[in-house]
Amino acid sequence: MAAPFNRVYRPLWRIITTTTLNKVVRNVSSTRRQWSAGVASPWALHGAVCLQRLPVVSQDRSPIEESFIELMRQMELERSLLSDHELRLLEDAARMSRKQEEDYDSDEEEEDYRDKEIVTAQDLEDIWEQKLKQFQPAPRSQGVDEKDVSSSERCLAESLILLVEKDVGSQKLWLLPQIQWQTGETLRQTAERALASLPGADLKATFLGNAPCGFYKYKYPKDIQKEGGVGAKVFFFKAVLSSHKHLPLEKKSFAWVKKDELQDFLKPEYLKQVRRFIMAL
Amino acid sequence: MAGIVCRIASRVISSQAACSSVVAVRHSHWFTSVLSLKTSMPLRAEPKKKKKVDPRREIMMKERLKKKLKRLEKVPPELIPIEDFITPAKCFDETRIRDAPKLCFEESERRALLLKEWSRYKYSQHQTEMDTINEALEAQRQALDELKLESEELYKAALSPDMDLFPFQHEGPSYTPPVTNYDAPEGKYNDVTRVYTQ
Repeated sequence: MAAPFNRVYRPLWRIITTTTLNKVVRNVSSTRRQWSAGVASPWALHGAVCLQRLPVVSQDRSPIEESFIELMRQMELERSLLSDHELRLLEDAARMSRKQEEDYDSDEEEEDYRDKEIVTAQDLEDIWEQKLKQFQPAPRSQGVDEKDVSSSERCLAESLILLVEKDVGSQKLWLLPQIQWQTGETLRQTAERALASLPGADLKATFLGNAPCGFYKYKYPKDIQKEGGVGAKVFFFKAVLSSHKHLPLEKKSFAWVKKDELQDFLKPEYLKQVRRFIMAL
Repeated sequence: MAGIVCRIASRVISSQAACSSVVAVRHSHWFTSVLSLKTSMPLRAEPKKKKKVDPRREIMMKERLKKKLKRLEKVPPELIPIEDFITPAKCFDETRIRDAPKLCFEESERRALLLKEWSRYKYSQHQTEMDTINEALEAQRQALDELKLESEELYKAALSPDMDLFPFQHEGPSYTPPVTNYDAPEGKYNDVTRVYTQ
């Protein structure tokens, strides 16, 4: 397998446009370094997985959608033909009005309607309304606290991303689960290994294709850089959660977050790259 | 010649012989005379030409039947009716026509404005969707470029199609979340769909 160090030596403009800020607050100007080295700079490769729990329940309608649905129903009703039930209602109403008249002759009525207990259509409607009031629909949310970030049952109407807290250097950072690439495997296998190596989680996921969906590049702080390796490149792979046992994950280290909550967890530069491929429509 | 001789001989013999037994036999025209030569009608007729005419006639009959069958088969098959396209007779009933409602000015204005609002909302929704998709595609393209810079083999592995992905199945969102350990009851049904054959 080709190791990073015999790779091409990148042109200047690329370095200027694609360098990212260092994680530690040092602004390393990369241009001088890259040009001076005659050899291509080695980047450590990492594979990461963007595991999504897709929505389980449909979204609530926004106010404009509600009003539009109402309007559509009304217009459809106006343009439709009368149904059997409505015809029956009209007939009953006509018969009642005929009964109220002074010159009502019961013999003129048809055979079926003479002196019999009739269930009018209006009665049927009342019965149906009563039944509807007694119906209890199932609850839409599982009753899990929406703020509890470690539960994957929160916010069933939206897709959630799995985040993991990891020690990087001296800091504890929230990241998408990632692991270093080893020679002899493809990056997708690295991502699968990253998912499997999460402690205590029995997550079954379907990876969507062999190609990465995004990447993030960062440089090591200067003191580590001397040991070898300028920085690391992380390639993200998308996966969809197919099933999981409802084991409670360690609260402190795992988080299931929506796209708009990501900014509370991730560093700004990392977030900027990650948000590009996470679609929350 | 032989036939004429036979006939004369039979007349001579019959006039001379005793009448009683001969008369009884004479009831049928097949029996000319007991004493005469046994020549019945079929025997006296010409022998049938069984060798050529009959096979030809049979062949002719078969060909005629085949032609009739072909003519019948040439008729195009009756098309299977599409039941969705046949409007049921109930819809043409005149008693079912609803009177068009008279809308006041405010109501018609409200409707027109809501439709325009909806069109704007849907347009903006579509724009955000297209932007999100294009952003994701761009991110993927850049990731692949970076990977290519890193290693050619990994890049090729990333480009290769994933055989295990399809057929891909996923249960979409429902109105209420699925009940855990739900035991669905087995249902029996009578299938009343009409099946047509051509």
